[in-house]
Amino acid sequence: MSHWTQQQLLQCLADTFGAANVAALEDAERAYQVVLPDSGDLEVTLVAGEDQIYCSTPLVTADQVSDRAGFNDACMRLNPINPLSNLGLSTVDGQDVYVVFGELSGDSTQAQIIHEIRMLAVNAIDAIETLKPFLVNA
Amino acid sequence: MSILSKILTLFRGTANEAGQAVVDKNAIRILDQELRDSTTELARSKEELTKVMAQRQLAANRGTALLSKRKEYEGYVQGALAKGDEALAREVAVKLSDVERDLQAEAGNVQQMDSSIGSLKTAIRSTETQLARLKQQINTVKATEAVQRAQSAVAARHSGANSKIGTALDSLERIKQRQEEQGARFDAAQQLEHETGDGDLQARLAGAGLVNDPSNVDGILERLRAPQQAVLVDDSQSAEKQKLLAAESLFGERK
Repeated sequence: MSHWTQQQLLQCLADTFGAANVAALEDAERAYQVVLPDSGDLEVTLVAGEDQIYCSTPLVTADQVSDRAGFNDACMRLNPINPLSNLGLSTVDGQDVYVVFGELSGDSTQAQIIHEIRMLAVNAIDAIETLKPFLVNA
Repeated sequence: MSILSKILTLFRGTANEAGQAVVDKNAIRILDQELRDSTTELARSKEELTKVMAQRQLAANRGTALLSKRKEYEGYVQGALAKGDEALAREVAVKLSDVERDLQAEAGNVQQMDSSIGSLKTAIRSTETQLARLKQQINTVKATEAVQRAQSAVAARHSGANSKIGTALDSLERIKQRQEEQGARFDAAQQLEHETGDGDLQARLAGAGLVNDPSNVDGILERLRAPQQAVLVDDSQSAEKQKLLAAESLFGERK
């Protein structure tokens, strides 16, 4: 079990990113949303699971990709050289969404959690910039 | 079929139809079922192990008893032979052969049960590993589902029923837009500074011949080399000189 209580985790996030940019999501259990103004208001979702903390941010919806095969291939090649984060395909509300995500041990320190979130944002912006040639209207 | 391939098949099958909730529910259902099966199997294996170990102990006890019986009968046979009672010795020897046959059978039993115990222990270890992995997979699937629920909630919050997921692509566009705005603001500020600042005014005044051009070193030298009075009178028509005269009169140099 993660040693972070909801209150502690919220406080830890608010201390770094500002209380206005951090919220607990009532719709999902132990889920938090962090907005990163420095990364173009990128939104990172955190979920404190039983023994891990999951961080995820939507990269691009699949309908914005013009060349799915090329995009998938590029994603697989980017994945091994992406520090701390992974690229994946997920379905939200019946819509295919490419996501950048990372998993942390439940007993990670504040510094590790913050680092993970920042890296996730940097990686997501880097990745979408790199993958732009495969998108619609590129 | 491995558990993961079952789930993947499920993902592929329903991704375009019923939506994610069904997939997640089914994925968790599959994993939960696997978890229950493995837990049952583990309990059964442990029960079986206990039974076999108990049987082995009983067989080993019987073996020990047979060994001592064998020793006892050997003593009887030797005793009877020593007394020259061949018939009695033979009678006991028949019993001894039964004991030895039982002893061999019991040894075979124990060996068989030892190998059963070994494979049961291996099976239990691998089931325990599988159980731990299953539990981890269930946690991951549940967390992934929670992330998706959260992202769906955020999308709904942003734009009501017509939910639009905010992506890194949107953020990248915002970053670029902000950089452009910032660049434009910087240019505007520079332009403004240029237009309103001292630098521009001085340049325009100098251009209009209204201020002294500090770079006019030759003019200064020429003025100072010549007799002062004459220069001032002779050149009084030059705008620069007139201005100098005005400045001198203002500051009281000239009477």
